[in-house]
Amino acid sequence: MARILVTDDALFMRMQLKDILSKLGHEVVGEAENGLDAVNKVKELQPDVITMDITMPEMDGVQAVREIKKFNSTAKVIMCSAMGQQNMVLDAIQAGASDFIVKPFSADRVQEALEKVLG
Amino acid sequence: MNTDQYIDIFLDESREHLQAINDNLLELEKDPKNLSIVNDIFRSAHTLKGMSATMGFEDIAALTHKMENVLDQIRNEERSATTAIVDIIFASVEALEVVVSDISNGGDGKKDVTALVSAIEGIEKGQDAVDEQVTQDHTSNSFEFDDYQLEVISQAKGQGYLALSIMVKLRDDCILKGPRAYMVMEKLESLGEVIQTMPSVEEIEDGNFDQAFSVVFVTKVSEKDVQATIENVSEIELVSISEISNVNSVTTEEAIKIEEAPSSSSQSVPSEEKQSQKSKTIRVNLDRIDTLLNLFEEVVIDRSRLQDIANKLNNQDLVSVVENMSRVTLDMQELMLSMRMLPVEQVFNRFPRMIRGLARDLGKEITLKISGKETELDRIVIEEISDPLVHLIRNSVDHGIEIPGVREEVGKSPIGTVELRAYHSGNHVFIEIEDDGAGINREKVGRKAIEKGLLQEEQAKRMTDEEIYQFIFASGFSTADVVSDISGRGVGLDVVKNKIQSLGGSIIVQSEQGKGSKFSIELPLTLSILSALLVQVQRETYAIPLSSIVETVSLSKDDLMFVHGQSVMDFRGKVIPILSLSDIFQVPVESLGTNQNYNVVVVQKGDKLTGLLVDELIGKKEVVLKSLGNFIKDVFGISGATILGDGNVALIVDPNALIQD
Repeated sequence: MARILVTDDALFMRMQLKDILSKLGHEVVGEAENGLDAVNKVKELQPDVITMDITMPEMDGVQAVREIKKFNSTAKVIMCSAMGQQNMVLDAIQAGASDFIVKPFSADRVQEALEKVLG
Repeated sequence: MNTDQYIDIFLDESREHLQAINDNLLELEKDPKNLSIVNDIFRSAHTLKGMSATMGFEDIAALTHKMENVLDQIRNEERSATTAIVDIIFASVEALEVVVSDISNGGDGKKDVTALVSAIEGIEKGQDAVDEQVTQDHTSNSFEFDDYQLEVISQAKGQGYLALSIMVKLRDDCILKGPRAYMVMEKLESLGEVIQTMPSVEEIEDGNFDQAFSVVFVTKVSEKDVQATIENVSEIELVSISEISNVNSVTTEEAIKIEEAPSSSSQSVPSEEKQSQKSKTIRVNLDRIDTLLNLFEEVVIDRSRLQDIANKLNNQDLVSVVENMSRVTLDMQELMLSMRMLPVEQVFNRFPRMIRGLARDLGKEITLKISGKETELDRIVIEEISDPLVHLIRNSVDHGIEIPGVREEVGKSPIGTVELRAYHSGNHVFIEIEDDGAGINREKVGRKAIEKGLLQEEQAKRMTDEEIYQFIFASGFSTADVVSDISGRGVGLDVVKNKIQSLGGSIIVQSEQGKGSKFSIELPLTLSILSALLVQVQRETYAIPLSSIVETVSLSKDDLMFVHGQSVMDFRGKVIPILSLSDIFQVPVESLGTNQNYNVVVVQKGDKLTGLLVDELIGKKEVVLKSLGNFIKDVFGISGATILGDGNVALIVDPNALIQD
């Protein structure tokens, strides 16, 4: 069981992901609604894993990964991408994201990503 | 019809035509509307088709037939020469070259060309965008390596790396294939070095492949660990890994792929015209010239003997005849050597296409400037220098030239330039490869050298940039982890340096960070006959190549000094080490010299000087370098032997080996 911070600007997506995660037996310790919020919550909550939407107001997901990596180089971030965001995903991985999942999420994929990330 | 007797001519002409197509294609790319170029290509393809069909090489005939059809359409202005078409013709020419070299190595000239044929058919029928299709057809096939890759693989294997062929299949429901594949590549690069991919890295990372892609990979970690690492990436359906064995045999085969046709003039002239133009030349098998040279070497040896005898007998008539003979043999020698000389064009010709391909794969824009391709070099040197050049050019393109975005940021033109120059100077030929890329980072090379224990921190501070750069040629600098650390410079560069040194040449690097780098190779014109200084060591005679001698000095016993147990002398204000040839070669000492003076031959390698202590200086002589044969290889400090006028054998000293770096 891992402590997870869910980041997405859409409440609906956060709810859905939270639902999947808790069914898989993980604890969602916090929710962030933009990149900046996520960076602060990571400092505050020290989650095991962060899920990160890409397109968000204030600070996008890719930039947030960069910021998080600055103070926690081992932070495990899973990007949540939509189809067609190929280049953004590449940028995020280059910035240090550990894995990515593509919307719409399937429970299996989320589980796999978490297993691989937690290794 | 018995075609065996025509095979050499067939091979020579095929190579000429392929080269002509190659050159013309590059021209055509610059000037796609020029139908006369298309015509030339068409004719070359047509000739190839005819020849190969006659010789019974059906695969070549099939492919050239298809090429001809498309070219014919372009010629008749039914379609235009798009990049896709040029690409597919390039790919075909490449395939044809493989077949031709296979035939020349005794192969049967069979090759599966169906993918290419159907791709061309597609174009013929009007679909332009087929080049991707072709690449994909390749996916399932095995890899074809170029010289450079073979070299890296065999070198890596030599250093205890594993060479693996890895196929990675993504799950069917994987949506963003590109980033997924990128993650796999990233993981792989952390474990070793990716040498080749199928399809190209760019296409893989763009997701342009069917579920699976393949990678050739060298690494120090085990197959199992590689597998586990890749499997740790999500959405992977299957990873299959197999070890690549048996590249060595292929390497040597590939290494002698060089075209041996002695003709060199512009090769785009269609064949009929060419024959009338060239009526004054004949084709001679190279073996014959080599045999002739060998026989001539014997004559040179006998001439020396005659010279000795004439001097001994003191017969004026004999002396004057021998002198005349010497003059004639000298002219003969020059003539004979010139027959063996080939223009470097042969090697240089393949680079425009190579750079074009590399630049495309890497997403860079590069112009290649070639000058002095008519410069002539001994055939052996030409054969041997090709691989190192490929290596250096790849290096410049891959790691020297930055991607256009980066170049613009630092205020350079987005188009990088690689310059390849060859020219004569004295008894040497210089080949230079200069790029206007990022240059070498002195700091990083220095740090790496210190880490590797090749250098002390203190020394590093005192060294010039050039001395530091020499470390990129150190063995072990070529491992994967360094590739990224020192901006890639260093992949197998020790192989390059060794090769050049074994040819009696040297290589230096000049670089300015941010401005570019220049690799200069200095090569001897010929290898087989050299001017040497004969010296006596006790009762043995040695020959020291004049090319490395700076001067000879008579040194009085008192001027011999010792520093840390090493004897040194003062040479024009510089302290240089002294080595005694009789110690190095363990010459039996019969008499301790009673002379008050030593004879010292000062030799140089780069800017390093060393004095060689000998008993007597005999004189300058043209000697014929003979190898010591296969049984006595790699003798320290000896590069070969020669037979002297009196019938005795003298060993030829290799000063490069004696001078410590």
